Amino acid sequence: MSTDGAAIIVAPTRVGRRSRRRVPIPIVLALLFLAVVVFLAFFGSAVAPINPKTQNLNASQLNPSSHFWLGTDLLGRDIFSRVLVGSRTAMLGPIIVALGAMLIGNTFGLIAGYRGGAADTVVMRAVDLMYALPPLLIAIVVGGIVGGGYWAAVAILVVLFSPYDARLIRGATLEQRDRPYVEAARTLGLPTRRIMVRHVWPNLLPLVVANTFLNFAFALVTLAGLSFIGIGVPPGTPDWGQMLADSRTLIFTNPWAALGPGGALVLTAVSMNLVGDWIYELLSDRGRLR
Amino acid sequence: MTEPLLEIDGLRIESRAGNEPRTIVGDMSLRLAAGETIGIVGESGSGKSMTARAVLGLLPPGLVASGTVAYQGRQILELPEGRLRQIRGGEISLVLQDPFTMLNPLRRCGRHVVELLRDETGGRLSRAARRTEAVRRLAEVGIDDPGVVDRYPFQLSGGMRQRVGLAAALARDPRVLIADEPSTALDVTTQKEILALLKRLQAARGMGVVLITHDLRVAFENCDRIYVLYAGALVEVGPSVDVEAQPLHPYTLGLLLSEPPLDHKVLELPSIPGSVPRHEQVADRCVFSTRCPWVEDICTAAPPPLVAAAPGRASACVRLGEIRSEITARRATRVAPAPLLARLPSAVPLISARDVAKRFGSVVALDGVSMELGEGESVGIVGESGSGKTTLARCLLGLERPDDGEIVVAGIRAENIAALDTATRRRLRQAIQIVFQDPYSSLNPVRTIGAALGEALAVAGRPASGVGALLNQVGLPAEYQARKPAALSGGERQRVAIARAIAVQPKVIVCDEPVSALDVSVQAQILNLLARLRDQLGLSYVFITHDLAVARQATDRVYVLYRGELVESGPVDDVLDRPAHAYTRRLVESVPGAPKARLAEAAEQLTMEGGS
Amino acid sequence: MQPSLKLSSVADLFGTQSQSSRRPTSSWLNPARGALLFAAKRLLGLAAVLLVISFGTFSLLTIAPGDPAQLLLGTRQQSPAVIHAVRHEYHLDRPFLVQYGIWLQHAVHFDFGRSIRTQDPVWSDISSRLGLSLFLGIYATLITVLVGVPLGVVAAVRQRKLVDRGVVALSVVGVSTPAFASGVAFLYLFAVRFGWFPVFGAGNGVVGRLYHLALPAVALSLTVMALVLKLTRAAVIGALEQDYIVFARARGLSERAVLSAYALRNAAIPIVTAAGAVLGALIAGAVLVEVAFTLPGTGSLLVESVEAKDVPMVQGLTATIAVVIVAVNLLTDLAYLALDPRMRFGVGAA
Repeated sequence: MSTDGAAIIVAPTRVGRRSRRRVPIPIVLALLFLAVVVFLAFFGSAVAPINPKTQNLNASQLNPSSHFWLGTDLLGRDIFSRVLVGSRTAMLGPIIVALGAMLIGNTFGLIAGYRGGAADTVVMRAVDLMYALPPLLIAIVVGGIVGGGYWAAVAILVVLFSPYDARLIRGATLEQRDRPYVEAARTLGLPTRRIMVRHVWPNLLPLVVANTFLNFAFALVTLAGLSFIGIGVPPGTPDWGQMLADSRTLIFTNPWAALGPGGALVLTAVSMNLVGDWIYELLSDRGRLR
Repeated sequence: MTEPLLEIDGLRIESRAGNEPRTIVGDMSLRLAAGETIGIVGESGSGKSMTARAVLGLLPPGLVASGTVAYQGRQILELPEGRLRQIRGGEISLVLQDPFTMLNPLRRCGRHVVELLRDETGGRLSRAARRTEAVRRLAEVGIDDPGVVDRYPFQLSGGMRQRVGLAAALARDPRVLIADEPSTALDVTTQKEILALLKRLQAARGMGVVLITHDLRVAFENCDRIYVLYAGALVEVGPSVDVEAQPLHPYTLGLLLSEPPLDHKVLELPSIPGSVPRHEQVADRCVFSTRCPWVEDICTAAPPPLVAAAPGRASACVRLGEIRSEITARRATRVAPAPLLARLPSAVPLISARDVAKRFGSVVALDGVSMELGEGESVGIVGESGSGKTTLARCLLGLERPDDGEIVVAGIRAENIAALDTATRRRLRQAIQIVFQDPYSSLNPVRTIGAALGEALAVAGRPASGVGALLNQVGLPAEYQARKPAALSGGERQRVAIARAIAVQPKVIVCDEPVSALDVSVQAQILNLLARLRDQLGLSYVFITHDLAVARQATDRVYVLYRGELVESGPVDDVLDRPAHAYTRRLVESVPGAPKARLAEAAEQLTMEGGS
Repeated sequence: MQPSLKLSSVADLFGTQSQSSRRPTSSWLNPARGALLFAAKRLLGLAAVLLVISFGTFSLLTIAPGDPAQLLLGTRQQSPAVIHAVRHEYHLDRPFLVQYGIWLQHAVHFDFGRSIRTQDPVWSDISSRLGLSLFLGIYATLITVLVGVPLGVVAAVRQRKLVDRGVVALSVVGVSTPAFASGVAFLYLFAVRFGWFPVFGAGNGVVGRLYHLALPAVALSLTVMALVLKLTRAAVIGALEQDYIVFARARGLSERAVLSAYALRNAAIPIVTAAGAVLGALIAGAVLVEVAFTLPGTGSLLVESVEAKDVPMVQGLTATIAVVIVAVNLLTDLAYLALDPRMRFGVGAA
């Protein structure tokens, strides 16, 4: 047999299995729907047929008609327009919660997982504590007592979501930390921060992105729950959660008052969840660590 | 010829899942008679494990088998689940590779063994009867402690678990046992015990055994006939004695030659260039044609059939008639032995470790181990799992901090890296580098090869433009820098890992089992590369391995560790030929194929003593 | 609920079995002692959690905007003399930690003071409503477990077939539909439109309760069931991928035994481990459902009290809920101990 010598081995080009998976139909629909919601969050008030703030007590509690597509609420406001504009609070708050929790959670989780020590203890204890209590409850109690409206609720949720993210990232970091490629980087003498950020974290990207989407969906649902109860958005704001609460008085006459905001809420959350799951599978297929 | 117990003909295993159909096994045939042991030998990707699963209808979802599988003359491939279940365990049984995952962690060992036993009427046995049976069967596999019946798998060692697995697999007294790499996950000393146990069981029960392995030596020592699989196709069949003495296929020859010899060191190991292709890539031709030195047009025109080449032997080499004599000649050639190197002992050793101790909780990993590495030397640290060899290596690199002892690397005190100032630490880090065992996780999957190597070069202050030359140095084309690790084979990844290690121009490279995760045909390439680089770049190696043959080839001196203690050290030829310590002796004897070495040594002793 | 629940890989939950000690545990603790140690550790941890929560609950009064004494009096303006008296009665003039100590002492005896709104003792208000909420919670849990777990198992066994796809779709929708949304939807559909169920009230007697609370219980269980579905399915799939399943089948074990004794038994561990978090989702959902269906339970009491800034009531409710959660967590820990022999021997599996 030929000996190796200094021969340059030219192996056949390994075309990485780029499985040309077509985007499944439900995902396409979900992405389209989300695009619409985002658009409405910015331009909803321009697009709405009737000014959502206009009250008209003469037109209160009307059923759906060609003018008021979903009917009117107790104060005569057009429900359909309010649903459209409600996308703003549905997008804004949850995005901040998701991104904020991601930022804090990732930082703490990375440090806790990679370096251990004080950061690790803090994260673990915090999560142990949080695990027992649902965020919604804490948000209700603290938000309700301390007050502060929508943005206070958002801030509270950022704080409450972060430990879960941190724990998730910590676990993933721990898994990567002992892998040879990380140890090789340590042996090369690369600084710790560089290893964490440039070497370990990119491998966590599928997890991080997918988790952000799922966080968003959960924040949306939680914030809506808060406004349903009356904590969060000030009364009168077009917000899907609050509209759902209002719709209960109309339940006998106009179910669309509930279906509009409720449907929008559920569809948005479903879309976010679907896209999040799909992104996770997509990103973790390519070049994933065995 | 006795009626075959098991007969496979034209077995084909394909994957229908996903977008691309893949062929795992293209064409597999075999015959097994009672009392016979046959071996299926192949590297990774050869399809040998799937063959075993297909026989029992246990292919993972998405894989489909076609062809014929006959047990005692009856076709079993297409049988419905109910009938297959009777055959599984009762007629044909399977033992898996990894004893640590084979047993249900929530079930006691005794239960594993007896849960399928039934009495004459088909009912379950009484509790007392179950217990008696469990104890008896465990004793049959060499477990004498009846307490094991009540223990959970996590309370037992790997070797014990494998025995329990065997007992469970044989519970219903099958006529055929398929053992899928039954000893690969175990230490070499345990390996020998398990294989001997298998032999005893077979003789006592008159079973037919199919032994699946990637280790040629294991196959030759334990099997009557062997089937050589490559890239999903059979390339050679024959009695193991004959195949070993005179292979009739270029691949078998290559495999035999690239195994590092246990008993002597060679200058350069013969190897097979390239790596194992996927079956679809070579389905229309001789599967070995991409790497065969004798390839001609006739080989790539169509897949050659497996034809009889001698009584009881078959080969799929279409050119066998012409090249047979060449093959025989190559087999007989003793590859040039390495000249005895007279390396002058250097005045100041490059590495000096004294009384290094380390414990993890209550486990003592290292108990006062001392070693030295001279400049230009390659020193081996040999031991089984739990010997502390990896811990020692990590201490040398500064990845672990020893509890006690002194380590000096290139003149720098290295046992407490954190205490060094930045400049000294950087010097230390550049003096000693590492190549890890697992090529699949030693490269960052999200970074390109070029980025990873460029970063290493930057640490040493060398320009990133040197990446191409670096790749060439390890035998890879410069274009690889744009690729990600997932696009490279195991051997290629290991080359990149080596490139990364030499990028900072270190004095010492710690090689932690650098070839044990690679296929045999690739192992030789990497060992040759390491030897060549050592000469070219003036490197010194600390070579960690459990494989004595590799130690023989790659090291000058060797240290033998056992349970954290240094039991023996010396020039590698001395230690392996004339082991002084009892453990070293046991280690040497456990290597499959070793008895010949021992016999040679014993004969030498007699002649030396003047034949009295 | 918690997104991280969905993403924590089942492999983590199973623990890396092949990496667990490759050597026989040299110190084989007496399993009983091992179990006791484990339970003791968990108890300590849970007690610490309770302590921290109680502290947080107590500080609510302090962090609430406004003067605590004024708060305790409600919206009526009072003379400084009254305020001073209240301050003294509630120990507001003592140091913070002393106040906490006093409060804790009372709290352990279920004495949380008086509600600002109703002027009744907090505990009597809570206890009168607790029964309904517990009934609702257990009702919903039963539905979740009896429907969710089997569905999850079926989906895992028939992966990629129609049943599985349906189950996965159901779980995505369930997770995205908050309990109040589904509650209102059910209210409209089954109570108003079809009239199968009553719109108001909590019913009397067990049968009456079962009838009246059917809609809220189903609405509540929908979200939670989605979680349990995902969890069970992932756990069973994970178990079925293990080598010991292949080995069991290779020995001729019947498919039924493989599923029950091998797969399910092993999958139970990660499922039980996550039970604590699922409970959290249940309680949060219960609050929303009670509001949606105007049920007089502790959840709606909480919301009313928060709106009215009735701090003593909120404190009492939070403390009660915390105790319930901690108690259930303890139960699941004990169940975990019973299920996984590795815990008893001090070998950490997960």
